[in-house]
Amino acid sequence: MSVAFSEAARAEFERLLTRYPDRKAVILPALHLAQKEFGHVSDEAIVYVAELVGTSPAEIEGVATFYTMYNRKPVGKYHVQICRNIACSLLGAEHLIEHLSEKLGVKPGGTTPDGKFTLSLAECLGSCGTAPVMQVNDDYYEKLTVESIDAILDKLP
Amino acid sequence: MPTLTINGMTVDVPQGTSILNAAKEIGVEIPHYCYHPKLSVAGNCRMCLVEVEKFPKLQTACSTVVADGMVVRTDTEKVRKAVTGVLELMLTSHPIDCPICDQAGECGLQNYYMKFGLHKSRYALEDKVHKKKVQDIGGQIVLDAERCILCSRCVRFLDEVTGTRELHFFQRGNRSEISIFPGKPLENDYTGNLADICPVGALTSKDFRFKCRVWFLKAFDSICTGCSNGCNVDAHHKGDILYRLKPRWNDAVNQAWMCDSGRLTYKAMNEARLLTPFVLEGGVRKVAPWGSLLADVAFRLKSAAEKGGPDRVAVIASPQSSNEELYLLRGLATSSLRTGNLAFTHRVAGDGFADDFLIRADKNPNSRGAELLGIPGAAAFDALLSKIAGGGIDALLVFGNVVGALSEEETAGLLAKVPFVAQVGTNEGPVSKAAAAVLPSASVAERGGTFTNHAGRVQRFRSGFPPRGKARNPVEILVTLGNRLGAGWTFAGEASVFKALAETEAPFAGMTYDSIGMFGQEAMCPRK
Amino acid sequence: METVLTTHFADDAYRRIDVYRGFGGYDALRKALSMTPEGIIDEVKKANLRGRGGAGFPAGVKWGFLPKDLSRPRVLVVNADEGEPGTFKDRLVMSRGPHLLVEGIAIAAFALRVHRSYVYIRGEFVREARILDEAVAEAYAAGFLGKNILGSGFDLDLTVHRGAGAYICGEETSLINSLEGKRGWPRLKPPFPASVGAFSLPTIVNNVETLADVPWIITHGGEKFAAMGVEKNGGTRLIGVSGAVNRPGVYELPAGTNLKEIIYTHAGGVKDGKALKAVIPGGSSTPVLRPNEIDVSYDIESMAKIGTMAGSGGVIVIPEGTCMVRALSVLMNFYAHESCGQCTPCREGTGWLKTIVGRIEAGKGKAGDVELILDLCDNMMGRTICPLSDAAAMPAQSFVWKFREEFDRHIGEQKCPYGNRF
Repeated sequence: MSVAFSEAARAEFERLLTRYPDRKAVILPALHLAQKEFGHVSDEAIVYVAELVGTSPAEIEGVATFYTMYNRKPVGKYHVQICRNIACSLLGAEHLIEHLSEKLGVKPGGTTPDGKFTLSLAECLGSCGTAPVMQVNDDYYEKLTVESIDAILDKLP
Repeated sequence: MPTLTINGMTVDVPQGTSILNAAKEIGVEIPHYCYHPKLSVAGNCRMCLVEVEKFPKLQTACSTVVADGMVVRTDTEKVRKAVTGVLELMLTSHPIDCPICDQAGECGLQNYYMKFGLHKSRYALEDKVHKKKVQDIGGQIVLDAERCILCSRCVRFLDEVTGTRELHFFQRGNRSEISIFPGKPLENDYTGNLADICPVGALTSKDFRFKCRVWFLKAFDSICTGCSNGCNVDAHHKGDILYRLKPRWNDAVNQAWMCDSGRLTYKAMNEARLLTPFVLEGGVRKVAPWGSLLADVAFRLKSAAEKGGPDRVAVIASPQSSNEELYLLRGLATSSLRTGNLAFTHRVAGDGFADDFLIRADKNPNSRGAELLGIPGAAAFDALLSKIAGGGIDALLVFGNVVGALSEEETAGLLAKVPFVAQVGTNEGPVSKAAAAVLPSASVAERGGTFTNHAGRVQRFRSGFPPRGKARNPVEILVTLGNRLGAGWTFAGEASVFKALAETEAPFAGMTYDSIGMFGQEAMCPRK
Repeated sequence: METVLTTHFADDAYRRIDVYRGFGGYDALRKALSMTPEGIIDEVKKANLRGRGGAGFPAGVKWGFLPKDLSRPRVLVVNADEGEPGTFKDRLVMSRGPHLLVEGIAIAAFALRVHRSYVYIRGEFVREARILDEAVAEAYAAGFLGKNILGSGFDLDLTVHRGAGAYICGEETSLINSLEGKRGWPRLKPPFPASVGAFSLPTIVNNVETLADVPWIITHGGEKFAAMGVEKNGGTRLIGVSGAVNRPGVYELPAGTNLKEIIYTHAGGVKDGKALKAVIPGGSSTPVLRPNEIDVSYDIESMAKIGTMAGSGGVIVIPEGTCMVRALSVLMNFYAHESCGQCTPCREGTGWLKTIVGRIEAGKGKAGDVELILDLCDNMMGRTICPLSDAAAMPAQSFVWKFREEFDRHIGEQKCPYGNRF
């Protein structure tokens, strides 16, 4: 089963090509695009990007698995990534992780049976001044408490 | 030329030389895994750390270019501790499964552990990171990810030499491993080299797997007979059985590489060999003693020429024969039998696949030699076959196991037109099944000589062990036959033949086995 | 107190080009375009502007490393891959004052005769990338980017390039590889990026804050910038204070402000009135300080004198009652997670440190484990292509040196005296 970009994504890919002196430089942006288009970076997506860029799937796989943001497996509708690094830990992140696990009924790395949430642990998200922090899909949520986490997640459709 | 000192010894090396190579010049071995002379410098294994005066940190000898006045030490306590430390770290997640590892005996980890390590493991067994073992990743290769030290040689080879990039690093940190993408196995003609360049037992040869412990093997210099490129090889054998071929480095021919099909050519030297002289009588093979068979073959050739004239006898030469053998065979045909019916098997079975690297369309090691010795090829060969098919030949001497690209059936049909066919060959094949007399000859591993590759480079191959069974060296067979036909040859061995050849054959003028040496010498001929 | 960067950060609209220009934005670029490239570099040298990414290399000197030969195009890459735990200042600049960065890039590019520039921003900063993209589009529309900028004949293309989740890409050669679409493996040096960098072209990599300081330097002069700080450390610094303080956040303070003052005056002291236990002064990689060591000028040289670093300006405050073994364990997990895996000592060493510290914290430490940590650190430091191995070993070493008794107690009692919690 093969996949292909939508027309809009294809146009964005072509625009990206004009921004770099080397075709391979679009690998990271193309993988971001693929993830957006297909929900995750599937095997088919890897093969597709390899064809677009003109290299082997192994090279693309090497890149895709080096970076943490590319989901090689499907994730829930909301990917909840909570920081477990030092600044967040000093302000109670461990407790919040336990709370999230209990609330969602999944361990870090797991996805709820309804496919709505995937819970992941993140290393430093670069928002230590407003710790503890989590990222849900593209958005940051800062200065978290048990209450604010509940409010944030409960509001998500 | 910068001058530097290494461990107190002074050495001059060309500009741009690395410390590692400068040290090698004066016999100082600097341990390394990722560095490979034929690949780009990665500098990531960190084994080659050395002390360089005025540098606060230890430097990697593979990537540090020498400078005039540089003072390098590889023998200090600081270096020793660093190297031991790197080795310890390299071994933390290694499975230490040497007893079942093919690499044992030629493993960089084993060797350096004995030299620099010998530490007790401080790493708990239960903490080892486990990865996939025994993966068939295509080509000639089995991958054991646990044994891999992530030196990146294979990844660089597939990027820089074949350009196919089937293997890559996946994941990162200590989860890193090399692998193929699922469903996309190795797909190039040079996969066997991966086992050669892997410094540990991560990439091993499927073909050699569990066949023999390497310390039982002996090696001799040979030339690959798989095509006209003439890749230099080391042939590894135990007794009279060959186990593998590995590329022998020759920058003028094959650098450090060889192709996959060439790598398997050794099998024909072990299997389906012709080991006993015999005659075919009423469709039944009868063992014949060498002495009487040679006399009989000579007699049949001679009497056919005398009876019907020299034009009724023919000789088919083989581009698998050495220059020395072809020289004698030419003499036998043109001087002793005085026949013009001499041609070499120009066309061969196979796809004629070629690439722009090491694989040539001509699957014979010595077609160029045959040409340079004036043995007719293409058109003459076709004409000779027509003549045979038309019943124009009464006695035929065939060198080699095949006649051109003819199938077994076609060969049988063709040879049935000739009242007497004698073969000098190494293996069972279309010719041995149809010939009236079969003279088993030594394989390339069992005799010495020279081949001239496609570019006109004359290269020596050596005998690794005596001919198997009752097979004989073709030089010996030819001298005996020739003398029975009145040649009056006094040659003893291929060296004496080459000496004579170099005296009379212009392209080889002035050449000696010494001048050919380890790496060959170009014949005086137009470059193709 | 005079500020260089954050003066208008309270104003949400400051990220819009019209408002930015209302405060004199892009006047520095106009001025720079009337100067010579050498004149701009001189001004930056005079400013004593030290790289704000962590290494603190003088920016003007770095700019001088580009080859004189102009035949090959050059590239300016902005390191916006802010990922050092405890550091969150560049994010502030990009989200509150994106045009400061764009203007700084344009000036630097002119000085460096660069016509192609990239902002490599960490992938998680989706919002900041969007804000930057908008700012870049505004700057193109206003003629501050693109062809013939302000009629000067100078061309510059700027592209915002998102990373995808890898701390190591903050290391400049790893960043370059990542920009080229590769795994973020640091490169062997030499060659240095200034001669062979992005796309094999001569390349300068500068941190966000470093470049954002440049417009002010051009407007007010390098000497005035230098005078704001202390010797060899010009200007202000954006200092992020995190962990257990009453007012965590980014503070723009003159380079060389006292560390104790940063924590107690600006960040409001330790949270919940607790005593101070330790300070990680310049991002998670920097050696930890005890409370009696923090009365120190927060400049590069003074911090080096006490065996640590101001690094990327991330001060992490650890309160009394914190298990230092657990804290180290969190950091060791991080470095093991982020090691690129290229060099043996780092790949295996970070994993091993994580294992050892983890088992000590879990009450399963073995006799000799503390010595093993120290020996391992010794085998990791200065042995690799990039500094990540050192970045993992430095906190490990310093935690053990300064809080040894906690490690011994964990091993002796075979449990965490703090109950395995923060």
